[in-house]
Amino acid sequence: MSVKAFELVPAVERELLMGDKARINIECIECCGKHLYVGTNDCFIHHFLLEEHTTPKGKLVFSAQKVLHKYLGLKKPVNELKAASALERLMVLCDNTVIVVDMVNLEAVSSGGAKIKGVVAFCVNENPVNGDPFCVEMGVICAKRRTVQIYMVYEDRVQMVKEVSTPEQPCAVCLDGYFLCLALSSQYMILNYSTGASQDLFPYDSEEKKPIVKRIGREEFLLAAPGGLGMFATAAGVSQRAPVNWSESVIGAAVSFPYVVALDEGFVTVHSMLDQQLKQTLSFRDGHILQDFEGKVMLASTKAVYVLVPRPLERQIQDLLAGHRVEEALTLAEGAQRNIPKDKFQIMHRRILQQAGFIQFGQLQFLEAKEHFRKGQLDVRELISLYPLLLPSSSSFTRCHPPLHEFADLNHLAQGDQEKVQRCKLFLISYLREARSTEGANGCREDVDTALLKLYAEANHESLLDLLASDNACLLADSAPWLEKHHKYFALGLLYHYNGQDDAALQLWVRVVDGDLQDSTRSDLYEYVVDFLSFCSSLDLVWKYAEWALQKEQKVGVQIFTRRAVSDEQEAQMSPDAVIKRLHKYHQATVLYLEHLVLGRRVQKEAFHTHLAVLYLEKVLSLLSQSPAPAQQVTEAREKLQNLLKESSLYRVQLLLDKLQDTDLLLECATLHGKLEEHDKALHILVHRLKDFPAAEDYCAWASASRDQGYRQRLFHLLLGVYLGPDAPGNEHTVAAVDLLNRHAVMFDPAHVLRLLPEGWSLQLLRPFLCGALRGATHARHTSQVALGLARSENLLLKHDRLKYRGGPVLVSEKKGCQLCHNTFTEPDCVCLPGGVPVHTHCAAQRVRDSPRKRQSTNPSNHT
Amino acid sequence: MKVKYNIDIVASSPLRVIKRRVSRAMPDSGKMKKPDVKLVILGDMNVGKTSLLHRYMERKFKETISTIGGAFFLKQWGPYTISIWDTAGREQFHGLGSMYCRGASAVILTYDVTNWQSLAELEERFLSLTDTAKDDCIFAIVGNKADLTDPKVLEVEPEEEGTGQPPVCSPPTVSPIVRKQVQREEAIALYGRILRYKLQDERSSLPAERMCFETSAKTATMWTCCSRHCLTWSFPPS
Repeated sequence: MSVKAFELVPAVERELLMGDKARINIECIECCGKHLYVGTNDCFIHHFLLEEHTTPKGKLVFSAQKVLHKYLGLKKPVNELKAASALERLMVLCDNTVIVVDMVNLEAVSSGGAKIKGVVAFCVNENPVNGDPFCVEMGVICAKRRTVQIYMVYEDRVQMVKEVSTPEQPCAVCLDGYFLCLALSSQYMILNYSTGASQDLFPYDSEEKKPIVKRIGREEFLLAAPGGLGMFATAAGVSQRAPVNWSESVIGAAVSFPYVVALDEGFVTVHSMLDQQLKQTLSFRDGHILQDFEGKVMLASTKAVYVLVPRPLERQIQDLLAGHRVEEALTLAEGAQRNIPKDKFQIMHRRILQQAGFIQFGQLQFLEAKEHFRKGQLDVRELISLYPLLLPSSSSFTRCHPPLHEFADLNHLAQGDQEKVQRCKLFLISYLREARSTEGANGCREDVDTALLKLYAEANHESLLDLLASDNACLLADSAPWLEKHHKYFALGLLYHYNGQDDAALQLWVRVVDGDLQDSTRSDLYEYVVDFLSFCSSLDLVWKYAEWALQKEQKVGVQIFTRRAVSDEQEAQMSPDAVIKRLHKYHQATVLYLEHLVLGRRVQKEAFHTHLAVLYLEKVLSLLSQSPAPAQQVTEAREKLQNLLKESSLYRVQLLLDKLQDTDLLLECATLHGKLEEHDKALHILVHRLKDFPAAEDYCAWASASRDQGYRQRLFHLLLGVYLGPDAPGNEHTVAAVDLLNRHAVMFDPAHVLRLLPEGWSLQLLRPFLCGALRGATHARHTSQVALGLARSENLLLKHDRLKYRGGPVLVSEKKGCQLCHNTFTEPDCVCLPGGVPVHTHCAAQRVRDSPRKRQSTNPSNHT
Repeated sequence: MKVKYNIDIVASSPLRVIKRRVSRAMPDSGKMKKPDVKLVILGDMNVGKTSLLHRYMERKFKETISTIGGAFFLKQWGPYTISIWDTAGREQFHGLGSMYCRGASAVILTYDVTNWQSLAELEERFLSLTDTAKDDCIFAIVGNKADLTDPKVLEVEPEEEGTGQPPVCSPPTVSPIVRKQVQREEAIALYGRILRYKLQDERSSLPAERMCFETSAKTATMWTCCSRHCLTWSFPPS
């Protein structure tokens, strides 16, 4: 299918022009505004007024009204007519002579100067170099002399300004600026009449076929070339566009951007200058003249005149789009850009791009479609609305009118092909994702996000959760039923949560966990809920669903409380006491929570420690009461208990001790006694009842861990005493005692130990202890001696320093008198007063005694 | 601005020129900016100029009809817009050639390796068209339809014909494989003559080994004497 670019509309009918005179033919035409001039072979010029009308149907018609006709009186055909509207003059070529006539009355301009003889052809410079608006430049081919002359045509005279010679006889001419484009007998050439520079274009046999030289724009010409081509050539002799392919018998050509129109014997052909393709063919017999006048393309047979009316560009483009010729439509639109106001073009171009996108979308050419949608700044909703039910019911969107595409919806487009539907949906997903990340979704984020959510849910797409977890504008009311329909309950919960409806979210999730609803999105939904609750800021909700979670599994459920971040404002309602109160039904959870408090958060509160210890104890006891007791579990439970008893010092010892009274948990008993500082009892239990000597030693180390050395020694001595005590039967503990001594020699005072030891023990037995003790004592002595020496020397140094700072020596002699009693010194002993004044010791003492404040102000020292 | 550039044949993947992709062949239109550089493909009719260009622009081989007049494409090479002119090889349009070549910066002379005459025509008919090209215009000589010859036969058979007279028509065979009529050495020799014709210094010009090669627009593979080559066009900033 071709474009309908032009419509052929009759302008002047045969009857109006020549009536029934058969031999009269049209030779040339000229159109200037509403004025149409027709030159005939019987030397007449006819002047018509051409009025344009639009019929009610929107068609353009012309009505011609004859104004005047004038016989030139030469009996020769009128070859050419050119109007110079600014001068109100018409230039007429007839009988090889150019005459200038008045445009209105067609009378020849009176003065004789307005006439050029010996003319083959002439042309008017549409790009004049002369600035005078009341002057027309004209290029004239002279009949015989192989020359081209340039004339200036004024209102009443013509004046030749230049004459250039050509290598061959020219037969057609066109003028643009200084450039003459000439058809010579064997070739085309460009001639600059100002500089004389010439440029050969290409060979053409003008004698064989009539050449065509047509200016199509600034310094660009259209020429008939061999093989029926329309060649484009610039003044520089370069072709910037590919040629158009006319027929061999081409008669005339005209330009109406972006088309090149050509006339041959049977047809008018329309080629696009943009892609050089044939766009339209109009059948037209007996065509004679094809010319464009100020953008209006006129066509004449020998008997009648027609106008080729271009159809509006938009209509042409719509035709192309209707034929799915997207590229051509865009090329046409973009090519016509410069002929359309910028803002209007932008709107039109955008719409065409969008339409093009939809056409390609319909053909499932998604890449191209996307590109066109993007360039055309398509409202995303326009695309979304193609997919049934995707736009939220609350959306205010209505499709653009007139519609951008022919599809009712996706089903219409896919014609029931589910694979196509799926591909379209995948495309929309990717398109919407991109739209979200750009400004494409501005103003309709709700629609976009909701549509995306629906697509994700439907396609079981993994990004559904990402969408809901991130910042989104999905409409809850619209999305919820959709998600329910597709069993995306977890996602729906997330959406509820995003919209601040945590209760609804939890309710939904609980039902999924309980198996009332089916949604396999998360297999660990229960853990997720627990985690969710542990972060949930609404305490009411936490309490509400904690019960459920704990019933489900205490160990996990308690994480609601243990994982919760501690914050002050919640502390009041979510205080540990309150939690424990709630948890009391759930034994395991209570233990875990207390462990979290005591061991994890190290809360220093007696109640928790005692509670935990009691719970541990109960656990141990309950395990022990089973028969047989599961050894592994008992060991573990006891270890926990023991650790707590040892590490904590906050629990109520007496309470526990009472509970332990009648049990076999001796180690724990010992620990508790230790806490009460009842070390003898503890050690007694360990040594005599448990007979666990390493434990006893460990006990000593543990109980004295934070105390000084003396305390530790006392404990070890106590242990030794227990070993050697009177209630020890026989030599049962001798070995233990020896081991203790030998191993912890430093912990004992040897002298004390030796007194304690029975006489009968051999020296050999105690050798490691004694050696150790001796060595220790020697070492201690040496060390203290060294220390003493060091202290002395330090003292000496200090003294030396002191003297040094006191100044010079104090001289005492028999001749010197005491300042206080003024007697001489008889002994070297003296007291120095401040300032180094020596006085008698007794005088100084006297003075001190006498002083009212009884304060010793002098610093007595001895000097020798 | 004068754009200096050169045609460079680099040993890498075959026909990188062809691999460069364009979304669509851009027809000339008002919106296009003026091309910076012109490149013209010349050659006798039916040697495959249009097919080579299709292979380059669209990476595919399709049936073409005889080019009428000429056609051209615009291509963006980095900051430069290149116009590539596909000319008509038919004698009828010969006169237009010099117009296409006017101001050309590069000319690709194309012949058919199965048709010795097509190489001869390059020198006889087409070389003179390049008179209107730029003085420093660069030339490449490309033998097309290499897929129609059998490279194995060539190796065992050092051909003697093709040095002067066009050979007698090859015997009618059923196989599409025909004897290669043009040796690459002849193209290289022609390249030397072109440089002399254009009065270009052979030493400073691009070496013949890199500017003459054989290819096939149909199979997009390269047959050259040394290795698989490709055309790359490099534009040092002016």
